[in-house]
Amino acid sequence: MIGATVKIQNSTLAVSSNEYGFYSLLLPQGKHTVVVSYTGYNAVTLNIDIKANLKKDWELSTGQNLNEVVIASVRKDQNLSSPAMGTETLNIKAIEKLPVLFGEKDVLKTIQLLPGIKSTGEGSSGFSVRGGAADQNLILLDEAPVYNASHLLGFFSTFNSDALKDASIIKGNSPAQYGGRLSSVMDVKMKDGNNQSYHVNGGIGVISSRLSVEGPIQKDRSSFIVSGRRTYADLFLKLSEDFKDSKLYFYDLNAKANYQINESNRIYVSGYFGRDVLGFGDTFGTDWGNTTATVRWNSIINSQLFSNTSLIYSDYNYNINLKSGETDFGVNSKIRDWNLKQDFSYFANAKHSIRMGMQSIHHLLKPSTFTGTVSATFERQQRRSWENAVYVSDDYKASEALIFNVGARLSVFTVLGGGTYTIFNQGVPTDMVALDKGALGKTYANIEPRFTANYRASEMSSIKAGYARNVQYLHLLGNSTGGNPTDQWIASSYTIKPEIADQFSIGYSKNLNDNNYEINVEGYYKSMRNQIDFKNGAEIFAAADVESELLFGKGRAYGLELIAKKKSGKLTGWISYTLSKTERQINGINNSEWYNARQDKTHDISVVTTYELSRKWTLSGLFVYSTGNAVTYPTGKYEIDGQTVFQYSNRNADRLPAYHRMDLSATYEPKSNKRFQGSWTFGIYNIYGRENPYSINFEDNPDVPNTTRAMQVSLFKWVPNVTYNFKF
Amino acid sequence: MKNIIKLLMLLVLFSSCEKEIDLDLDDRSGALVIDGNITDQPGPYYVQLTKSVPFTQTNQYPAVTGAVVTISDQTGRQDQLVYEGNGRYKTTTLTSVPGNVYTLKVVVDGKTYTSSSRLPLVVPLDSLTQDSIKFGSEVRYAVRPIYTDPATLGNSYRFIISVNGKSNKAYNLVTDNINNGKVNQRAFPIINDDDLEEVNKGDQITVEMHGLDLPVYTYYNALAEITGRGGVTPADPPSNVSGGALGRFSAHTVAKKSMVLK
Repeated sequence: MIGATVKIQNSTLAVSSNEYGFYSLLLPQGKHTVVVSYTGYNAVTLNIDIKANLKKDWELSTGQNLNEVVIASVRKDQNLSSPAMGTETLNIKAIEKLPVLFGEKDVLKTIQLLPGIKSTGEGSSGFSVRGGAADQNLILLDEAPVYNASHLLGFFSTFNSDALKDASIIKGNSPAQYGGRLSSVMDVKMKDGNNQSYHVNGGIGVISSRLSVEGPIQKDRSSFIVSGRRTYADLFLKLSEDFKDSKLYFYDLNAKANYQINESNRIYVSGYFGRDVLGFGDTFGTDWGNTTATVRWNSIINSQLFSNTSLIYSDYNYNINLKSGETDFGVNSKIRDWNLKQDFSYFANAKHSIRMGMQSIHHLLKPSTFTGTVSATFERQQRRSWENAVYVSDDYKASEALIFNVGARLSVFTVLGGGTYTIFNQGVPTDMVALDKGALGKTYANIEPRFTANYRASEMSSIKAGYARNVQYLHLLGNSTGGNPTDQWIASSYTIKPEIADQFSIGYSKNLNDNNYEINVEGYYKSMRNQIDFKNGAEIFAAADVESELLFGKGRAYGLELIAKKKSGKLTGWISYTLSKTERQINGINNSEWYNARQDKTHDISVVTTYELSRKWTLSGLFVYSTGNAVTYPTGKYEIDGQTVFQYSNRNADRLPAYHRMDLSATYEPKSNKRFQGSWTFGIYNIYGRENPYSINFEDNPDVPNTTRAMQVSLFKWVPNVTYNFKF
Repeated sequence: MKNIIKLLMLLVLFSSCEKEIDLDLDDRSGALVIDGNITDQPGPYYVQLTKSVPFTQTNQYPAVTGAVVTISDQTGRQDQLVYEGNGRYKTTTLTSVPGNVYTLKVVVDGKTYTSSSRLPLVVPLDSLTQDSIKFGSEVRYAVRPIYTDPATLGNSYRFIISVNGKSNKAYNLVTDNINNGKVNQRAFPIINDDDLEEVNKGDQITVEMHGLDLPVYTYYNALAEITGRGGVTPADPPSNVSGGALGRFSAHTVAKKSMVLK
């Protein structure tokens, strides 16, 4: 259990468990009363008498009559007592009742309601953190990176809530144990499974159905959980004469097991497999998906030293097949990681707790390759690379009021041999490097300092400041706004330099009314180097080397984030507001002048509320408003070859109309004394039917010859949903 | 391909809707537009000079008159074009030779614009074959131009497809970065631009094949990307004209074949 509080009664001594559920507390000899608590669970109290080192494991049970909290803070005043900045943790139980598109509760969509985190498009699971691109988020599922966290072009995420325990996001100021992406770390943990008794839960919705089974393998010692989800839109397609040969579905499978070897050692094995499949008969077919696997060994070496060793595998690939007449054409691409991590937590004394460790990742990237009767003139080469890091950080309690987290990460990225690398300058080849298999090529090394400080100004308020450098060695190439499953990951090379971001932030937190209300304000400034974009008219698939099609530049983002939460009572929820600016300057784009990044949205507001009407009924609603995306509209038109061509001027100088909508949902949980419990959720997405622009297209007007028109495409007006959930 | 996926998603799954909207667009019209062509076919060849107009106006483009327009090749042959009307300037003496590099020079309002383009060697279009793609119960026709790409790298092509004499607007582009030196395998969907009017058996299909100079291919490729609904951030396509004019100067080969859909 992550972030449970272990507190000694009548003293200020308290610690939180780390992400592996481990804690260490130094106490004077004698009698103490220990209280262990965790939001959503009943607190446990125990009297102990300390004579020597004592190891105590706790088991907490879910409370029957606890108020639902929307965002679960790990400690009531966690926002004041921890040096963590820009960090939000979502308790999966707590987000269950929020309204969502098609009733598919989705942690990636819920986080978009938090300040500083913006949706990349209508109904999309893609998100941008503090002006970063969607690929600048490190999305981890049980420590394994998920390279494409979306299903069905982004309308659903790969995260099946039934299989998840919790999720937290760190907006740039991550501690030194995390690295590899510029903007954020989204750390998603799977449930461990109940080690006492068997349980089944599931749900039936309009889009998909879910089923999970969990239980002990050996009571008290080991447990498992298996969770699956599949959509069934294709079953309706089968009913239609026109689409009976069509395929359109995705599925997910999550599984996890853990085994306690002895009191001090425990092994966890977890895996994810998901796939999207789309096709028409044998004419056209495409499928894509992620596979991840994690084996983790937790070991308590002594009362102060805790070790976590993980071996992680992650794979994302896609295949496309087209068949017409005698032409049989395919494209496929893949990214695969092997990753070894070693992490130590050392609880040195009451003032210092140290984290240190290393990480080594072997990347294999296979760029899009043609198969079948069509072949590329230039065979694109597989690329191998090796990413290593060592880190150390210290949680230092300088005084009761002043806490620091100081750390550094040294990351080293090496291009591995097995191919020829061309060096490009602004798309023009300047040199070639041939590397034998196994040879070490271009190496980049970066020191990434991380620092946060928390000054507890008063019992109910604190001031924070932080700085972090993050370096990113893998980059996602995509030139479309929505993000496609065919967008490719590419590694740093001789031409592509690692992206580097420096972020400065300051914050103020205040709690009111016995921590029932919480207000957090944070400001940030982030500068980014070696940002990548395609040049105009880039050849993405056909270019001999996609690196010839890239341009490089820099970015800057700054903003102010505000969130006010009400955490208990019948009415809970939050209001969040972000004021921000995000710009890019790429040599060769927009006359090499600064321009608004597409995800630059000046204002972004979310209001999220849950109201417990009665024991049986819970109502929930949300409202979002944001400035429209920065886009480029035509500034004139002309004719070439008898066809209308639009003239463009400054990049992203225009705005889509503002985006806003309201969603409502109601959950009905009939009282049941039996083991079987069922509940119904009804919801409507976009209740007042706002036609938010998904895209605006400019075209010749077919109705009035010799004129042009602007057409707005909107999705999702009044999308109702109903879901039945059960557990026993 | 991406568009197929997107379209399908929109049609099948979601309640999408499309409507015409009014936007307050910035006006930067009045820019010089050069549409110049030279082919391997007998002349005269034309260069059209117009000005861009605001988005909200009708598609009537003001002609640019009084320009001095010359085309020369690397052998020193030069032809000053004569004004014909509607912004069209016409060559009088120039004969084209595949492989030659042609330089266009336009002097207008005291400003000079230049461009050059190499007329590619001729790649013959041998024949057309018919193909069809099944989308559910619906059959979409496609046509495959048969030609053999030369072994040397750097060839690119554009195919203009007409149904019963009406050409459609799709930019069908091919580069020999794929299948260099091989017989073409790619087929292009036959679309009737007139609001998806169906293409039927018995329709006359004409394919016009243009062998392009590489910078012109890049120009069209950029145009194709911003014309499609893929969501690429639009920008003016990279022009091979220096001096800040819109448009392009293209030396290209032309070959034509027709067939009747069976």
